[in-house]
Amino acid sequence: MLTWLSIIIILAPLAGAISVGLLGRVMGRPPAHWITITSVAISFAASVWILGIYIAQPFEVFEKTLYIWGQSAGIPIEVGVYIDSLTIAMMCVVTFVSLMVHIYTIGYMCDDPGYQRFFAYIAFFTFSMLMLVMSNNFMQLFFGWEAVGVTSYLLIGFWFKRPTAIYANLKAFIVNRVGDFGFLLGIAAVFLVFGSLNYGEVFGHAELLSNETLTLWSGTTVSMATAACILLFIGAMGKSAQVPLHVWLPDSMEGPTPISALIHAATMVTAGVFMVARMSPLFEQSTAALTFILVIGGTTALFMGLVGIVQNDIKRVIAYSTLSQLGYMMIAVGASAYAAGVFHLMTHAFFKALLFLGAGSVIIAMHHEQDMRKMGGLWRYMPITYITMLIGSLALSGIPPFAGFYSKDSIIEAVKLSTIPGAGYAYFAAVAGVLVTAIYTFRLFFMVFHTKPRMDDKTKSHLKESPWVVTVPLILLAIPSLVIGYILIGPMLFAEHAFLNPSLYVLPQNDVLAKLGEHFHGALAFTLHAPMTLVFWLAVGGIALMWALYIKWPGIPEKIKNHFSIIYKILVEKYGFDIFNDWFFGKGTRGVGNVAWKVGDIKIIDGAMVNGSAHLVGRIAKLSRYVQSGFLNQYVQIMIIGLLGLMSWWLYAWVG
Amino acid sequence: MLSIVDYLIFSGLMFGIGTMGIAINRKNVIVLLMCIELILLAVNTNFVAFSRFLDQTTGEIFVFFILTVAAAEAAIGLAILVVLYRQRNTINVEELDELKG
Amino acid sequence: MEIDWLKFFFYCYAALALFGATMVIFSRNSVRAVLFLVLTFVASAGLWMLLQAEFLALILILVYVGAVMVLFLFVVMMLNMNLSPLKEGFVRYLPLGILIAATIVAQLVWVYKNTDMAALHLGELAQKPADYSNITELGLALYTDYLYPFEIAGVILLVAIIAAIALTFRGPQNRRSQNIAVQVATRKDDRLRVIKDVGPDSDLKA
Repeated sequence: MLTWLSIIIILAPLAGAISVGLLGRVMGRPPAHWITITSVAISFAASVWILGIYIAQPFEVFEKTLYIWGQSAGIPIEVGVYIDSLTIAMMCVVTFVSLMVHIYTIGYMCDDPGYQRFFAYIAFFTFSMLMLVMSNNFMQLFFGWEAVGVTSYLLIGFWFKRPTAIYANLKAFIVNRVGDFGFLLGIAAVFLVFGSLNYGEVFGHAELLSNETLTLWSGTTVSMATAACILLFIGAMGKSAQVPLHVWLPDSMEGPTPISALIHAATMVTAGVFMVARMSPLFEQSTAALTFILVIGGTTALFMGLVGIVQNDIKRVIAYSTLSQLGYMMIAVGASAYAAGVFHLMTHAFFKALLFLGAGSVIIAMHHEQDMRKMGGLWRYMPITYITMLIGSLALSGIPPFAGFYSKDSIIEAVKLSTIPGAGYAYFAAVAGVLVTAIYTFRLFFMVFHTKPRMDDKTKSHLKESPWVVTVPLILLAIPSLVIGYILIGPMLFAEHAFLNPSLYVLPQNDVLAKLGEHFHGALAFTLHAPMTLVFWLAVGGIALMWALYIKWPGIPEKIKNHFSIIYKILVEKYGFDIFNDWFFGKGTRGVGNVAWKVGDIKIIDGAMVNGSAHLVGRIAKLSRYVQSGFLNQYVQIMIIGLLGLMSWWLYAWVG
Repeated sequence: MLSIVDYLIFSGLMFGIGTMGIAINRKNVIVLLMCIELILLAVNTNFVAFSRFLDQTTGEIFVFFILTVAAAEAAIGLAILVVLYRQRNTINVEELDELKG
Repeated sequence: MEIDWLKFFFYCYAALALFGATMVIFSRNSVRAVLFLVLTFVASAGLWMLLQAEFLALILILVYVGAVMVLFLFVVMMLNMNLSPLKEGFVRYLPLGILIAATIVAQLVWVYKNTDMAALHLGELAQKPADYSNITELGLALYTDYLYPFEIAGVILLVAIIAAIALTFRGPQNRRSQNIAVQVATRKDDRLRVIKDVGPDSDLKA
């Protein structure tokens, strides 16, 4: 039963993608979206079914190899499924958000010429993501990892006539290559130690990792666990856009908004978090790797949030917010609170998709204007978007009882208790990040929906609420954003048989969630406890501050900007990551390329080798042309001289 | 008594004359053909001599076939010569420089 | 001193053959060159005769002198070349030619002189009984062991005949010969052309 359900889950979106991708032009628009939506809905239904089976009768893990694709040097390269609570959670989130985005796309892309292509891509993305999530071995994980990367690339550059989009998708692709290289090395390290790529076999002997060491250079050895985990995490850094490999995510907003919601907020970018959680038996072997994750996660959470404050593009604000929230998730997994990380991943998927789709709704109303300085006062025109965005913003800021509060607060509490080195820094970053989150979220919210309208009259006259295909997903996403935290915090994190516990492995001394669970007395108590924490007041304070700055005294932001122009400049330039990358990697590689081109290519390869060999042949030919004169007697003469030579050689051999 | 060395030297000299004829003759294709006949004659003499001194018929059989092939070669060579002369109205070797790619 | 007649005739024939060969390459007139070639072949046939290879010696005269040389002569006369310019530049290449020929001959002779022929069973000419027949011997070998090569030789000659004809044949020229194939293949339309079709319902009928 589970086998058939999982096959259906994986293949339904693939079938949709292939049929629409190949026949989209023939079938026209309505069949294109009906086919893909149906296929994803089937996936979603099957995922929920599996969830139902699991709830009715929990099982440890369901693993099955479906197909052996090939065999190389005795290593089977398989396609299989590995279903446990973590997989089920991810499957439900991915298919649900994907379904919402599919429906929403009907409204958002209604006048785009690449309508069918878009549906084919996102259905294919859903397939890839499910392959990634449901795989039972590292090879398939890597396949899914790359396949989502490819779809991400295709979708960022969906409007391939815009130079910025092409630049952005190239950037995303190249930056992800860096991460993927680390990831591949990590997989190689895992294979080196375990001799297998199967999850079951690898996780069963995870302690093997800590016994091995890797000699970097003579005298310096590093634990194999640390090396492998950090390498794997570098892959996660690329995919989940952690500092310093985060640079591609803000630029990826060049893609259509549904993509930003689906891929660059809810699902693909959380693949890194999922991967670390999935590999928890390995990551638990190395405290050093966890510290590394904590530091990277903390840095991303705080500093990327700060950049979000100064952005004016509505989607970019949310993009930086995504970076920051991914940082939170990384903090959680770094502190061994994998369940909290995955929980935040789920809640974030809902409210961030909601925010993106809401932003998309605003963008539709504004006729594809994304600059917040040209918006304002939209609440009057688009009430549904307004209310759902409010829910999303509150959830993001971590105000109880919205979903974000529960997940974020459990992360902060967990990291507070963690004893892993770097937890102190991560705790500080997470707490400070709450204030920052509230600030940028409500800056966006107030600038867009309140304050005086700043758009031109023509746009203003056309302002209206988006069609139902847009608002229905918003409402459907707003509901989980509102309630999912309250409902699921107990079962997910703290219950005696918490949902995710069977699939995660935590060393007893690292198990902060268990310690936290001792003080947990139900979701209601957790909620009521909130006003007694610093975090809550930071969030509320941030919202109040924004209310003061943008509604009460609207002149002040400008003054602050001018007063702290250096800080402002640093933030606008995003700490110079792009400049540095352009200068060092861009210009550097161009320089190296130039040298290689001018010296290596033109002089050595073209000059000496290609043209050189041609010249040589030419010169030899020039000489040998005299030989081929066409004169018969010359030929005969050469024959005779050859015969003479042959005879002389024989004679020499005979004498010798 | 006749010795094989006598025959071998004779045929060597004949062969040398044939090659010399090819080397010095720059004008007349017919003479070239005749020089080839001389060379073949030298080779045939060698065959016959060895055959007789070894008391085996093989060499003579071989000569028989060489004569056959040489006759065929002469016939075709002369036919080509005739055609060539019809086309170019000359058999001057130095004017025949078309034999190149 | 008793004269070794065999050796005497050998030197006579050898000298005659070499003289003829030299004259072949040096004579200005192609006709004379061909005639000297005939002399060379006849003398060589004599040399072969001394080796008791009677059949081949006669074949050489019959086939070569009788057929091939006549062919040469025929071609030379037919082409009717202007002979004198064909010998120009002769002296220029003479030293090179002599050098090449002398080197080849010197090498050969050096090898012959330094080879122990007796060790190779080449010391003496085998004495044949009085009723020995060279032709019978050759015929037996040719029609038994060498039957296939013999037939192939025949095919080669056939090919040579066809090739020579194909090369030189210029087709029937100005001949009013009957082309049977065309006559048989002809159809009514080739001979009869209807200018105007007058059907049964045509106006022209009346």
